[in-house]
Amino acid sequence: MANVYESPKARVNSSMLPQYAGRPVCLVGRVEKVHPTGKSFFVSDGEGKPATVELNEPLEEELSGVIEVVGTVTNKGTVIATTYHILREDKGTSFDLELYNEALKIVHDFSQYYPFEVSMSA
Amino acid sequence: MTTKLTEGAIEALTKGNTVNNAVLQVVNIRKIESGSGPARFRLMMSDGLHTMSAFMLSTQLNPMAEQNLVAPNCVCLIKKNVTNVLKDGRRVVIILDMEVLRPAEEVPGKIGDPTPYVEGELLPVSKGPSRDFAKKAPSTPGGSSKVVPIASLNPYQSKWTVRARVTNKSGIRTWSNSRGDGKLFSMEIVDESGEIRVTGFNQEVDKFFSLIEPGKVYYISKGTLKIANKQYTSLKNDYEMTLNGESTIIPCEDTQDVPMVQCNFVSISDLETRDKDAIVDVIGVCRSVEDITRITTKSSREVSKRTLSLMDMSGKVITVTLWGEEAEKFDGTGQPIMAIKGARLSDFGGRSLSALFSSTVMINPDIPEAYKLRGWYDKEGHALDGQSMTELKSGGGGGVNTNWKTLMDVKMEHLGHGDKADYFSCVATIVYLKKENSLYQACPSQDCNKKVVDQHNGMFRCEKCDKEFPNFKYRLILSANIADFGDNQWVTCFQESAETILGQNAAYLGQLKDSNEAAFEEVFQQANFKTYIFRNRVKLETYNDESRIKATVMDVKPVDHKEYSKRLIMNIRKLSAQ
Repeated sequence: MANVYESPKARVNSSMLPQYAGRPVCLVGRVEKVHPTGKSFFVSDGEGKPATVELNEPLEEELSGVIEVVGTVTNKGTVIATTYHILREDKGTSFDLELYNEALKIVHDFSQYYPFEVSMSA
Repeated sequence: MTTKLTEGAIEALTKGNTVNNAVLQVVNIRKIESGSGPARFRLMMSDGLHTMSAFMLSTQLNPMAEQNLVAPNCVCLIKKNVTNVLKDGRRVVIILDMEVLRPAEEVPGKIGDPTPYVEGELLPVSKGPSRDFAKKAPSTPGGSSKVVPIASLNPYQSKWTVRARVTNKSGIRTWSNSRGDGKLFSMEIVDESGEIRVTGFNQEVDKFFSLIEPGKVYYISKGTLKIANKQYTSLKNDYEMTLNGESTIIPCEDTQDVPMVQCNFVSISDLETRDKDAIVDVIGVCRSVEDITRITTKSSREVSKRTLSLMDMSGKVITVTLWGEEAEKFDGTGQPIMAIKGARLSDFGGRSLSALFSSTVMINPDIPEAYKLRGWYDKEGHALDGQSMTELKSGGGGGVNTNWKTLMDVKMEHLGHGDKADYFSCVATIVYLKKENSLYQACPSQDCNKKVVDQHNGMFRCEKCDKEFPNFKYRLILSANIADFGDNQWVTCFQESAETILGQNAAYLGQLKDSNEAAFEEVFQQANFKTYIFRNRVKLETYNDESRIKATVMDVKPVDHKEYSKRLIMNIRKLSAQ
């Protein structure tokens, strides 16, 4: 899991999760429901599609609004989160999730112009 | 040998039946000049029983008319003809081949006693009291003439009467040009069949203007019909009417069946699909209305303006702007139903509507759509938030008509090289600010920004005001270099934009320059490398034989990232689709 911090993480939405199984990703979505145990929660992305996020330790705080999750994708299509941070809606301009999704699609459709996967020279 | 006319031919032709080799007498022939192309000859023909005037000579036969072979009273054999049906259903018979059996000189007069056979109307030939509109002529207010529908009016019929309601009357407009002066007024009239625009010039203004009251019904006759100039009207009619010396307008008491107004309402959500500058009719509930403001136009006229928001059953809201008297009269209390006929759709702020000189604004009109809206609004509409088609956000430039360019475009497209200055907007970053000579000493009088001359005796002289002052005000002229991914551009920023960029006002900066050099420099350092939306003006200017492009910053605004992203995404998609 440590290498999640070292390697570049692709920004994805829920529909792209299956293609990134086993790889580190960054998923931005709106918190829909938190599991009673606090060890997982459901988000919906800019297209409204759902995704499940699992945690190693149960949540200690209330989660709501738009959240950015960094983690690895499992074979089941869920994300095991290494870290997350909440994009607060009360500070600054509100995050436009649909617009983010549109930008995400552009980055993936024209990935040759967005060479983010610059490998760290060992 | 008495020439026998083919009786019944007129009736048959008018009904659309083919008649072969009809023998008809020419009652009248008239030359019609057409602006482009050859003249046309219009004939009134008789078959001894009836006359009909909708005969046109086909141009190949024009010589016959020009050489007077075809003249009133002559008898002709129509060898070949074709009947055209006009848009309103009237028929015109085009004579393609014709032979003169008896020339006019040999025919003593009209054969038989034909009466006019024209579809659906009897023609009042009287030039009598019905013409005298000034006194309300109670005798035969159109009683002797049958009324025709507005939809049937066309330039080929000159004797008709319509009964219609005036939906919109304009004020009197005067003009003065090289050909002289004039005045006009215009109005729109409607009946069950349709609507048409009517204009009166000069003498007709005097005759009719005070007589006409919007909302009332009148009998109107003998106007001149011509092809509509769509630039001036949005009505659905190919023709428009001009009142002339023979026209009559008589008030009509019997107003049943004449509709109040004919509107083709577009739902507010559909307005997005219409083109900008389209003329539309809308109806909706006036949800809120702003206070009236006064604006000075480019031609230095002061005019009142009021905006209001209109919502309809689509749940969408749009901003409507009223001008002048309409703005002043408007009372939006109680969320009235408002209908506008002939409003202009603009792409300002996405989509918005503006009332024109020719628009008709109706509050709580007496039409079924209004009642439907009222019912809907009272039940559900008032609770709806409504989604606005007009971007009312002041920041980020809601105007969809901004001319976005990159700095590269400016050089490549040679913006500013024409006669007029070019304006454009761009997103750019400040890369250099010239702090030398950024401030100058200006005349302290209000509205005068001229540089003052230091008299070195404690006084400063302003040449423009021709006065001396013991003080001055500091003003900024900031020379900056801005850049984007492709290019850079030197621009000049004046007071307001410079203060925005530097984040300090000119007076304070002046003070700082004189007292604390380091702090003054710090202001410029801090302002550097910030990104803004610049609205610029570029123009080619000649200075001592040298021409160069000068760019001035008109406005500086922080980047609205959401709007910018949307635009970029849209452009990327558009480019990839090509």
